Amino acid sequence: MNDLSVSYLWFMRGVYLTLATGIIFLHLLPLNTQPGQWAPPDLLMAFSFAWALRRPDFVPALLIAGVMLVGDLMLQRPPGLLAALVVLGSEYLKNRLGGLSDANFVGEWATVAFTVAIITVLYRMVLGVLAVNQGPLTLTVVQMIATIIAYPLVVIVTQWGFGVRKLAPSEADTLGARI
Amino acid sequence: MAKDRSQREDYAGPLRRLFLGVIVLCLLGIFLVWRIDSPRVERFRAQVTDAIVPNLDWMMAPVTGTVNLLRDFQSYQRLSEQNRELRSELRQMQAWKEAALQLEQENARLLDLNNVRLDPRLTYVTGVVMADSGSPFRQSVLLNVGARDGIVDGWAAMDGIGLVGRISGVGQTTSRVILLTDANSRIPSTVQPSGQTALIAGDNTAAPIVDFIENPDLVRPGDRVITSGDGGVFPAGILIGQVAADRTGRLRVRLSADYERLEFLRVLRHHGTEEITDPGGLVAAPQASIAQGIDDE
Repeated sequence: MNDLSVSYLWFMRGVYLTLATGIIFLHLLPLNTQPGQWAPPDLLMAFSFAWALRRPDFVPALLIAGVMLVGDLMLQRPPGLLAALVVLGSEYLKNRLGGLSDANFVGEWATVAFTVAIITVLYRMVLGVLAVNQGPLTLTVVQMIATIIAYPLVVIVTQWGFGVRKLAPSEADTLGARI
Repeated sequence: MAKDRSQREDYAGPLRRLFLGVIVLCLLGIFLVWRIDSPRVERFRAQVTDAIVPNLDWMMAPVTGTVNLLRDFQSYQRLSEQNRELRSELRQMQAWKEAALQLEQENARLLDLNNVRLDPRLTYVTGVVMADSGSPFRQSVLLNVGARDGIVDGWAAMDGIGLVGRISGVGQTTSRVILLTDANSRIPSTVQPSGQTALIAGDNTAAPIVDFIENPDLVRPGDRVITSGDGGVFPAGILIGQVAADRTGRLRVRLSADYERLEFLRVLRHHGTEEITDPGGLVAAPQASIAQGIDDE
């Protein structure tokens, strides 16, 4: 099973699905039922972006949409909105940086941070315009910053834990149709 | 090779963009439907939760148990110190227990003398907390009892001591309890001993706000807050907590229920409060003559 075979591709899509299930599972554990002062990072979003930037073919838009929609339903968010924003964000990132195997991590981090910030602002704005009752602003900001700070860790786990790396240009060419 | 690839992109690009557009439109459509017809989508959400979470329970229970065990381990370290504290506390408690027993007997005697009938229909179903809301923005827990056990939307959930929340969303085998701390929670209540009615409004902090008090001067920190049963959804007289003032002088409720660790919750069966609509034909004057009297003046 080398990096480019079709079976490996589907295997890694399955791994992404399992990872997402695991993250939702951890969120649902009834460990703390008191309202807290801080919010954990949105790992689902961070992992989706990290994977989309490394191997866009592992996380097609439909897969991200499905995972985020289930996340919305399970984690008591307004269903569909954040999912749509994350799908758009990941496609933006794929077009912007995907496929380029440059080693400039700081640039990638800045772009991801920018995307996360835009998603957060749009999410709050749409909910505000439609008069949906939402949590305190500080909590949202804390979550956004936590997601951005956690991103390098997420990338480390993605690269060395799951072995999802950017392809060399020669490999990318043979894969051209799928990317 | 490069030429080959660009040709493929010519076909794949627009198709992919179209596909992406369809996905995003579908998701936004779901969101709009939720905004327009929230109850239907929330019911769907309850069904999805009902289908997924019970399947994860075999893993959830041990993981939660292990984490709690590790947390407890820290408190084991100062076991002897705790033991000493508990012993002295126990001595004090024994005195209180004696007093409580005497009062209970006296109370029972008085109730008997007055022929008081406690509500016999206020029975409960006990459920285990399976999961929480999973989001820092919403405060709710999922119980392992549902429509199968006769749970109905709107019933009250409490732990042994005080009110915890209200059932909102019932699946076949699970039901969701919106906690009092959730930003969407509003509970009509009475502040004792002054008897002022108020609304307990959650705001995503540990102590909900006491809102809409008619005369705030009559309410002091330390007063007891109980449910009033207004609106007919909730049984009256369930303990919520004690009034406390925060740093800005705003009145809040310190909740009696132990929110640190919600494990078992009682869901109170409630079949609606009977309303008296009939003015009582013998005593009150007929409606028509009253209306006429007002007109004459």
